Amino acid sequence: MPRSDLWSGLAVAGFGLVALLWMIPNYAGSNPFAQMPPGLVPSIAAWIMIICGAIVAAGGMIRLLRDGMLPVTREISWIAIGWAAWPFLYVSVAIWFMTFFKITWLGAFVIAGMLVLLGERRWYMIVGCSVVPPALLYFLSVYMMRVGVV
Amino acid sequence: MDFSAIGAAASEALTLASFIGIGGGVLLGYIIGVIPGLSRSVAISIAIPMTFYMSPYIAISFLIGLSKGTAAGSAVSAILLNAPGEASSAATALDGYPMAKKGKPKTALQVGLIASVLGDIMATIILIFVAIPFARVALLFGPYEMAAILAFALVFIAGLSSGSLFKGLAAGGLGIFLGTVGLDNQTGLPRLTFGYTELMDGMPLIAVAIGTLALSEMFIQSEKLRLERTTMSVKLEHRPDDHITFPIFKRILPTILRGTGVGTFVGALPGLGPSVGSFMSYGMAQKASKTPENFGKGEPIGIAASESADNAVIPAALIPLFGLGIPGNVSAALLIGAFAIHGITVGPLLLRDSPELLYSIFAGMILASIIMFILGWFGLMVFAQITRVPPHVVIPIVIFFCLAGMMLQGYGTFGLVILMAFALLGYLMKKYDYSFVTFLVAFIITPMLELNLRQSIILSRGNWEILLGRPIALFFIVCTLLALIMLTLRTVRTGKPAAGAATD
Amino acid sequence: MKRRTLLAASAALGAMLSAPMALADGWQPERPMTMVIGFAPGGSTDIQGRVLARALEEHFGQPVNVVNQPGGGGAVALTRFLNTEPDGHTFMFGVQLGLTFSPIVTETEYDIDDFRYAGTLVAGQFGIVTRGDAPFQSFEELVEYGRENPMTYAQQLPMDQAIMQIIADQEGIDLAIVPTGGGGGMAPLVLGGEVDFAFSGGTHAQYTPTGEMNVLAFLTRERSPFYPDVPTLAELGYPYAMDDYRSFFLPGGTPDEIVAAFEDAARFAVEHPQFVETTVENTLHPIVFMDAEETEATIREIRTANEALMAD
Repeated sequence: MPRSDLWSGLAVAGFGLVALLWMIPNYAGSNPFAQMPPGLVPSIAAWIMIICGAIVAAGGMIRLLRDGMLPVTREISWIAIGWAAWPFLYVSVAIWFMTFFKITWLGAFVIAGMLVLLGERRWYMIVGCSVVPPALLYFLSVYMMRVGVV
Repeated sequence: MDFSAIGAAASEALTLASFIGIGGGVLLGYIIGVIPGLSRSVAISIAIPMTFYMSPYIAISFLIGLSKGTAAGSAVSAILLNAPGEASSAATALDGYPMAKKGKPKTALQVGLIASVLGDIMATIILIFVAIPFARVALLFGPYEMAAILAFALVFIAGLSSGSLFKGLAAGGLGIFLGTVGLDNQTGLPRLTFGYTELMDGMPLIAVAIGTLALSEMFIQSEKLRLERTTMSVKLEHRPDDHITFPIFKRILPTILRGTGVGTFVGALPGLGPSVGSFMSYGMAQKASKTPENFGKGEPIGIAASESADNAVIPAALIPLFGLGIPGNVSAALLIGAFAIHGITVGPLLLRDSPELLYSIFAGMILASIIMFILGWFGLMVFAQITRVPPHVVIPIVIFFCLAGMMLQGYGTFGLVILMAFALLGYLMKKYDYSFVTFLVAFIITPMLELNLRQSIILSRGNWEILLGRPIALFFIVCTLLALIMLTLRTVRTGKPAAGAATD
Repeated sequence: MKRRTLLAASAALGAMLSAPMALADGWQPERPMTMVIGFAPGGSTDIQGRVLARALEEHFGQPVNVVNQPGGGGAVALTRFLNTEPDGHTFMFGVQLGLTFSPIVTETEYDIDDFRYAGTLVAGQFGIVTRGDAPFQSFEELVEYGRENPMTYAQQLPMDQAIMQIIADQEGIDLAIVPTGGGGGMAPLVLGGEVDFAFSGGTHAQYTPTGEMNVLAFLTRERSPFYPDVPTLAELGYPYAMDDYRSFFLPGGTPDEIVAAFEDAARFAVEHPQFVETTVENTLHPIVFMDAEETEATIREIRTANEALMAD
């Protein structure tokens, strides 16, 4: 997969650069007492990411050149991307809702919605699978951990 | 040793109430361990309020049974769903899931269970008969030694990544970077927290572990559903050859012994924790094997190595706790609290003041291992039914438990956002073949390594000669250097075709 | 034996599902209450808090759930506590360091004025400890020894580091200060002889009875009732102190009658045998009661003192 090597390598090296040039100088803080300043270990990590990311990207690039391939493909499969992306979007939206409602109350709907989206149509499966886990959570949190409804 | 005390202890261990208490603890732990997303710390915080109402002996055995149960239970989800509940079971999934997919889920589970129980019982026996008088040996491991061991573990485990070495190292770099988030432990000033109070104690390990291990796997599987809906689930058929045989047992036994040794050593040193133990053991098994290329493709030895060490850490973490009063890891620290609520101060005094209680607890621990074996053996049949549930039903439920497990830890919605970010990271790493094992281990080891390194530098006042008086540290430094050289050699040999492919 | 434990277990189930009713004057909770603890389960605050929760169940007649929100020495819990309804059903059993110290070194979203304080129950036990067989067994001997030999000290908070640095400079001690990352990390360093002496937030309690550790001095303003012979730093002629108390915190804007009800609850708890026993015997912290007014005044006073210390 030379193409994904190229882009993922660039992404890692890019993150390393951002970390080294922006995050560490601004957010690492300082410690006048320490022989090892707080930015030292993060900087080492950033350098590892830059070097290894660059090597991975270079390896991908060389193989692309050798095979005469373009770094991007023309046939992007939007269906495949959609299939990969929707669960993330679905769970992210669910988490956004969880800032307003407790997960115990929302859980059944989150599970049921995803079951339907994944192709489950038998109503008894949907009801059973979506009600039992939140009920278990309610029992766990309220009666066993005694932390109240989460 | 006082034999009348042991006799009395054994008789208390064998009452009906203690059977119920310990069995309940093991069962509860096992169930919680099986559910990905609910981890050992959830199990113990569930249990502490319950133990208020038990006698001290039952309460403690209940809690120890519980942590043993979760360690064994998390192997089940690692093997059947590829979604380990704990970071320490991630090594189990490396071989367990491929083995289950090859049509031998029951064998994989049995190997895991036998390795767990044997590792556990042997480490308990070491704890009882050998370790407490020798707990002081742990004090020989000062900051220099710990820094050397941690550096060795980091380099050694980084060398395990099966795919591209540079990708593995890049993932390790990211793990190190994220591991440095949190308050500076000397000045108390925030480092890389970006102003979020929640990050002051670092990226929550639970979010990192659940996100990259369990939740990301669910996203991978839901993506796969599109094309391979019928072929992807682990099929539990009644195959006559799907059970553990004596030749397999004979093959894994040396590995279990080594795993127990590694786990006991790691557990007895305060701070290292079960993940380091299970990955070290896995790596050593791979290095010792004549066919290392089979690892990661369903090698029972891999399962045995990881599980035996993971379970041996739990009793071994009690060695410094009972011998010195220093908890070996987080769950041992929780036990201190449970002891204190029952009016018992843990430490060397316990052996002197109430040996009877201590021996009762030991007897309870052995009993817990036996109960775990029986429960696990029959539980296999029940838990293996998980594989009959089609993946499109498992996925939403596991996602729910991952979110719920995070909420139960009290991090709030912020914790869920972090969890989601790490799930995305884990998804990308798995998809593009960046070793999430290296990432996770680097993330766990970095804070400890940095602290011990700092302490060593300050204590030595920059004087390197101090190491000459520290043979143990010197030994591990040499090991680290050897591991580094081997890693470089491997890079030169195997890294070349990847980087310089155009030349051939 | 068998019978007793079984009985205990069944009683436990009963107690878990229904809390006993008790009567108190004034404000009364209407539903289960939540006690927030800013530390992970297992620490001394958590242990005391969980036993305290049971005492409060008796007092208020409502179940009290314990929620741990660890992080930043209580700072995470305090930040989250800002948005809590001031109806008395959610309260914090907190360590004052999050208010008297954290805002000085980090930017926190909260400050002392954002909360109400309803009574103190427990006092902290900050001390300077050394190994039982160290060549010095009092603070004077330590200073004496330090003038001749280079010494190492294990810190836990920037504040104790600052105090020790000042004393070392004043006495001419060549002192190297190492970070430990908490009490659990301090004990192996001291017991293993890696450092000469160390700060202890209370960990020493389980090592002094066997003689493995010795307390040389207390950083608190008053001597500890458990170690009546050990002097405080101020008595030794160093005018520095680090004090800490554990108190009830309530959200800002909580009505006076609720604050008064918690003050009563604190008064009840410091008399509660099980709470007192656990606190004193198992976590070795002295019980110290202060009413709401005194608690708040103490917090402000310690904060001012800490600010002055850290400014140097």
